[in-house]
Amino acid sequence: MDLTQQSGGLPRTGSANGAALSSGLREELTEIVGREGLIHRASELRVYECDGWTVEKSAPELLVLPDSTAQVSAVLEALHRRQVPFVPRGAGTGLSGGSLPLKAPVMVCTSRMNRIVSIDYANRRVEVESGVVNLHVSNAVKAAGLFYAPDPSSQAACTVGGNVAENSGGPHTLKYGVTTNHVLGLEIVLPDGEVVELGGPTEEVCGYDLVGAVVGSEGTTGIVTRAVLKLVREPQSHRTFLAIFADVEGATRAVSAIIAAGVIPGAIEMMDQLIIEAVEAAFHVGLPRDAGAVLIIEIDGLAAGMDQRAEQVKAIVGGNGAKEVRVARDETERAALWKARKRAFGAVGRLAPNYATQDGVVPRTRLPQILREISAASQRHQLRIGNVFHAGDGNIHPIVLYDERDPDQVRRAVEAGRDILKACVALGGSLSGEHGIGAEKMHEMPLLFSPDDLMVMSDLRRVFDPAERSNPNKVIPMPGACVEVAAPRRQVPV
Amino acid sequence: MIDANGATAAAQSAAERAARGFESLLDRGRIRAPQGREAGVLGAVLEPESVAEISEIIRKCEAESISLAPVGAARTLAQMRSRPVALGVSLERMRQVIAYEPEDMTVVAQAGLTLGELNRLMEQNRQHLPVDPPAPGLTTLGAMVSAAKAGPLRLSEGRVRDLLIGLQFVGHGGRVARGGGRVVKNVAGYDLMKVMTGSFGTLGIITETIFKVRPLPELAELAVAPFDTAEPAFGVAAALHDALPLLHLEVLSAGFGREFGYPQKCLLFAAFGGNQVELDYQRSAIECKLGGKFAVLAGAPASEAYARLRDLEMADAALAAQLAVLPAELCRGLLSCRAEYVAYAGCGVARLFARAPEGANEAAQIVAHWREIARQARGHARLTALPPALRSAGPAFFDQVNEGSMKLMARAKKSFDPAGIFNPGCFVGAL
Ligand SMILES: Cc1cc2nc3c(=O)[nH]c(=O)nc-3n(C[C@H](O)[C@H](O)[C@H](O)COP(=O)(O)OP(=O)(O)OC[C@H]3O[C@@H](n4cnc5c(N)ncnc54)[C@H](O)[C@@H]3O)c2cc1C
Repeated sequence: MDLTQQSGGLPRTGSANGAALSSGLREELTEIVGREGLIHRASELRVYECDGWTVEKSAPELLVLPDSTAQVSAVLEALHRRQVPFVPRGAGTGLSGGSLPLKAPVMVCTSRMNRIVSIDYANRRVEVESGVVNLHVSNAVKAAGLFYAPDPSSQAACTVGGNVAENSGGPHTLKYGVTTNHVLGLEIVLPDGEVVELGGPTEEVCGYDLVGAVVGSEGTTGIVTRAVLKLVREPQSHRTFLAIFADVEGATRAVSAIIAAGVIPGAIEMMDQLIIEAVEAAFHVGLPRDAGAVLIIEIDGLAAGMDQRAEQVKAIVGGNGAKEVRVARDETERAALWKARKRAFGAVGRLAPNYATQDGVVPRTRLPQILREISAASQRHQLRIGNVFHAGDGNIHPIVLYDERDPDQVRRAVEAGRDILKACVALGGSLSGEHGIGAEKMHEMPLLFSPDDLMVMSDLRRVFDPAERSNPNKVIPMPGACVEVAAPRRQVPV
Repeated sequence: MIDANGATAAAQSAAERAARGFESLLDRGRIRAPQGREAGVLGAVLEPESVAEISEIIRKCEAESISLAPVGAARTLAQMRSRPVALGVSLERMRQVIAYEPEDMTVVAQAGLTLGELNRLMEQNRQHLPVDPPAPGLTTLGAMVSAAKAGPLRLSEGRVRDLLIGLQFVGHGGRVARGGGRVVKNVAGYDLMKVMTGSFGTLGIITETIFKVRPLPELAELAVAPFDTAEPAFGVAAALHDALPLLHLEVLSAGFGREFGYPQKCLLFAAFGGNQVELDYQRSAIECKLGGKFAVLAGAPASEAYARLRDLEMADAALAAQLAVLPAELCRGLLSCRAEYVAYAGCGVARLFARAPEGANEAAQIVAHWREIARQARGHARLTALPPALRSAGPAFFDQVNEGSMKLMARAKKSFDPAGIFNPGCFVGAL
């Protein structure tokens, strides 16, 4: 049964995937995961109809919650026998519709696989199940002065499996690297149910770097069940600054100047006026409401020499038009700044019923241009767009505010996002810095890659998933295969 | 398939005939006989000038089942092939820097450029590509990526896989494919960079590489300390690694002591950098741990010692390997390895060297011993040199991988190289 051939026109919002699942499958899966590990009632499944990309919605027909690698393997084997496509899911915090079921009637969620398997302090390694929440890894090793470096703003909720799938970043990845730089080994269940260990705890791999191929593959290579991660020693000291600017351009110039001076801070994050307003209204951390933009800059390293580094950064920022530079005086003030930053998306949620977060990247020196493009897109489409992003990496996050009850606003929000992505590519950048292509940006991939590039990428995916049943209809647009199902709520270009 | 069993005369002339078939594609001046280290090539070395020419070459090789391998300085290739390939493809004529953006800290360069040349260019901006395998002047970017070469700076700066942000390669059907791009953070599309890094020319020919580059440290110094035995050196290394953000950290076996003026001493190297205050702090922290028994080099002597350390090879080593284990297991493994070594403490990686073994048997025993050490420490050993006489019957260059991984690797090879022409037969599982 080929599900991609099966659908009869557009599926409805809120329901699934055009394939009637045989009740035999449900029974078999129940046997594997138990009653508590299976959800099939439409009302309960609605929770899983989208991730953080809420523009498109489509619930699975069945949700399976395996508790072990063996269960994942048995589940996938059962699906393989019936050729049923599936979609992996962690915490559902993804921002590109990665776990949106598109002709994948079964969702396999790792939330019960949340054990930290082992911690090896001497070698700075930790092995975790893929459903472990990102922050729980750092919490578990904190007492030993270690941490897990990739720190997405969603880290209190998102899972290591989701991070691996998206190759997630975070504020501190400017200095410490993204997920792929910290994953050494993976256990993955291939779409036919086979369990394979890739890589291992050592730094060099033997043979092709299959771990590197799976990280960032957005759930299209199977279900990751375990990961061996590197841990990093906590730096001796930090210094966290809040630099206040009259406008975003000045702030972006300061970002380039810091990096050009040979300083690699732990993080440089920017928030523009709209975001400052939203964050202040929500958290009252004392951000200057009249500022055009602020930068949160954190440097870290040895305690010795920190004063000199701090002076250097202050001088650079001051010389590039900062109106004021505040320094967090203690851990409480530092925590408040980071809380403001990491919860900024949530704060924005209060400004409009819905928002869509974009994730383009430009070369760092092109930040002024892209911010101008964003503001032009905002005017053109008559939508408010805020900016809170990883400035040091050139990774923008324009947040487009809209109201999903108004179809025209939805259309304009999608178009504004697309305009911004086009501008990123035109400036020599990319479609996504850390949120992934998913369902959201799949149709923009040809802006960045040639048909040959995409063909080679598909070849790589099929090494793991020859039948393309793991998270189908994502990342790479398949000519003709998925267009009509892609968007219950938006028009997709053919 | 022209893939001779040793350089028999018949195979040789077949390979040469095949090479002449390329005269319709390239003018004769760009088809030359293999020389020096290019012993891994039987027929001829081609010197294309463009990606389009490489596509043509590949199409012709696929149509006529001619094996080929990309060659840089051919050091890796000469070491790893038991039987030569028919053709070498040299990127000697493709060595342009396409874009260097100091402010964005990215560089795009053709794969024929050497690491040495690239770093000389960037030095004026106090930047570098901090990958430092031996002999940067001989290491083309293509070879560096293909063989996943690394050196001392892997401790602080990571490896090729951490710094390569984009690439172009020509593969099956002459297809030109790109992955990644010119931005330092990018998750659009599958990570072709990872798959090509360390693929040893078995999936296609890398034509262009894009890297993020890093600032040179403001100031840097290098501490050198002699030890009578290795164990205490590893002990101090572990303590330093725990306490300081070192630039690099090595332990050398006693056979290398003479190179640095300490005959028969094990040596500990610890490089540290930063601003003046950071430098002073680290120097005195190291002093505390070492108790006076060390020298600190700065300026030109430090640079010279670093370059010697980076380039270290054992001249008369017939057998060499790269050992990768859990970092805390490295010392124990090396104590029993019966070889000279350069250990990248903190990374769990070492380069091992053994003098000419008595024969195939002894070589096989040494290699088996190294592999056992690796296995016990959950790692593996990859041979980097094996005497030609021992190659065909001798141990494989690569360790075995588990069955599941092997199946995926075989599928990858088949998918990227269905005609089996790219450097065949010498990779993991004889891929
Ligand atoms: C408020 C907020 C802030 C955010 N900030 C950041 C940020 O700073 N940086 C950043 O990079 N991202 C950020 N994100 C995006 C998101 O949190 C990350 O992409 C995260 O890694 C997703 O993890 P998850 O467990 O929620 O995965 P999900 O959303 O459930 O899934 C994401 C993708 O991973 C796949 N997947 C999940 N688990 C597995 C598995 N075990 N095996 C195979 N595939 C799997 C899914 O199929 C899907 O394609 C943010 C999101 C929100 C809502």
